[in-house]
Amino acid sequence: MSETEIVLRGEAGAFRLDVHAVWRDRVAVLFGPSGAGKTTLLEAIVGLRPAMRGRIRIAGHWLEDAERGLFVPVEARGLGWVPQDPTLLPHLSVRGNVRFGQRRAGARGAALLERAIEVLELGPLLDRRVEELSGGERRRVALARALASGPRAVLLDEPLSGLDRSLRARVLPFLLRVRDELGLPMFYITHDPNEAMLIGEVAVVLAGGLVIAQGSPREVLWSEAVLPFAQALGIENVLDARGLGGAAVETAGGLRLVIPADVPAGSRLRLGLRAEEILIAADPLGRISARNVLAVTVASCEVGGGQALLHLDTGAEPLVARVTASAADTLGLERGAKVYAVVKAQSLKPL
Amino acid sequence: MSWDEAIAMGTLTLRVGGVAIALALGPALALGLWLARHEFRGKALVEAVIALPMLLPPVAVGLGLLLLFGRRSPLFPLLHALGIELPFTWWAAALAAALVGFPFLVRACEQAFAEVDPRFEHMARSLGYTRGSTFIRVTLPLARRGVLYGAVLAFTRGLGEFGATAVVAGIQPGRTETLALGIWSRIEQGDDSGALVLCAASFLLALAATTLAEGWLRRAPGTEGNART
Repeated sequence: MSETEIVLRGEAGAFRLDVHAVWRDRVAVLFGPSGAGKTTLLEAIVGLRPAMRGRIRIAGHWLEDAERGLFVPVEARGLGWVPQDPTLLPHLSVRGNVRFGQRRAGARGAALLERAIEVLELGPLLDRRVEELSGGERRRVALARALASGPRAVLLDEPLSGLDRSLRARVLPFLLRVRDELGLPMFYITHDPNEAMLIGEVAVVLAGGLVIAQGSPREVLWSEAVLPFAQALGIENVLDARGLGGAAVETAGGLRLVIPADVPAGSRLRLGLRAEEILIAADPLGRISARNVLAVTVASCEVGGGQALLHLDTGAEPLVARVTASAADTLGLERGAKVYAVVKAQSLKPL
Repeated sequence: MSWDEAIAMGTLTLRVGGVAIALALGPALALGLWLARHEFRGKALVEAVIALPMLLPPVAVGLGLLLLFGRRSPLFPLLHALGIELPFTWWAAALAAALVGFPFLVRACEQAFAEVDPRFEHMARSLGYTRGSTFIRVTLPLARRGVLYGAVLAFTRGLGEFGATAVVAGIQPGRTETLALGIWSRIEQGDDSGALVLCAASFLLALAATTLAEGWLRRAPGTEGNART
């Protein structure tokens, strides 16, 4: 894929954005805590923030270059933008809303419309009124509308935010299909590290209007630059703990753990634990080097992209673990399953 | 007074009211959109000027029109050369009705447009719609309840217009005598029952206009305001 380049600088009210990022991957996740400037950046890419000046090139296609005086107007950018608020037109049916996007595509429109309806499984909803749709259905319709316009890139602003866990699990597979089947460059905003890792080929991490890190989602989310924001970003397991003497600590929620080094009794520390560092065992284990073996119950299991995200009820602090979908299947990791979470002391990293 | 006379008068009134709305709607939409989307110094003054036809005595508005389009107007040679003679025609009555209803219409349009969430327009622009087509396809449909309400208000206000019309169009039976003027001349002539018949006709016209508008709004989906989806 040709290069994508986003260099933008400018002010929006009291907020200052100063972004410089270049990548060759197709699927980019714009990741960061709320207030980091993600939505402002996406709107600038869409062309709605002319006060932000710089260079924008998506997969080799120029949209903006302040030096050359190039600023492609919003309506000529050919992007498929899905804002956080689906903004479905209330005076049109679902079909009318999807067709609203089709107009730009011209002769290709009919085929694109059909494809969008098929990929997002909107057939049964087409004659409904917009008010009758659920939150997840609205997102799908807004996404179909953008796809029907034949965009050169898809821009999604927190497509799963505001949906409850079961609805997210229903919408996520559609997002993965759009990502995998249409082959379009994609910008995906999220503040959820799990989504970032699941969706993105490259993560651009924003904080306070600046790019603080960029790279493969799995690595970048645990990089030095991002750790100070771990709490705000909700990086899977962040545990506040108190030393009990020796290497034993107790978390705020009452979970007793062993960490790699001794800490003074009563001292306070914060520990980070990546979701994939937690091993899941279906049966009790014999003698094992791992210092922490917790009997837990699976509170939920979200499967997508070959991965399964587990929310574990430990009786104290909840934990999030990630295993492959096949492991989840073999071990029968469904809601209510009683299993063991195995955590090496070395995996508990002081933040 | 004959039925034919009353029906002719009602038809003339409808024609005057319809043409008045047709004249006022375009400028009112443009002005309403502009006022809804821009904040500037002196906006209150602009709004006060627009409200003048509503605030002044209608007779004064009529006099203003007469001075502007009459024989003593500096515009007269130009208008005469173009063959336009406005005063004392039904066009003058329509213009008077348009002017008197204009402030209502502008205000209604401004409020209706102010309530349209600009995010809908941003979405449309990003999908390739120009400013103009975004207005037609998104802004206007979302604002249509308020605009229609204003149009009905201005229309019914125009149907009942008396003072300005009497000055600039005169009370000429069969030519410029609308229902409101007709009621006045019946009272003058002591024909109370004739006046009452014309009152009933005015009432029916206004009722029909509002009922049609209500019915149309009720039938169309998505009219529960411009609530965010």
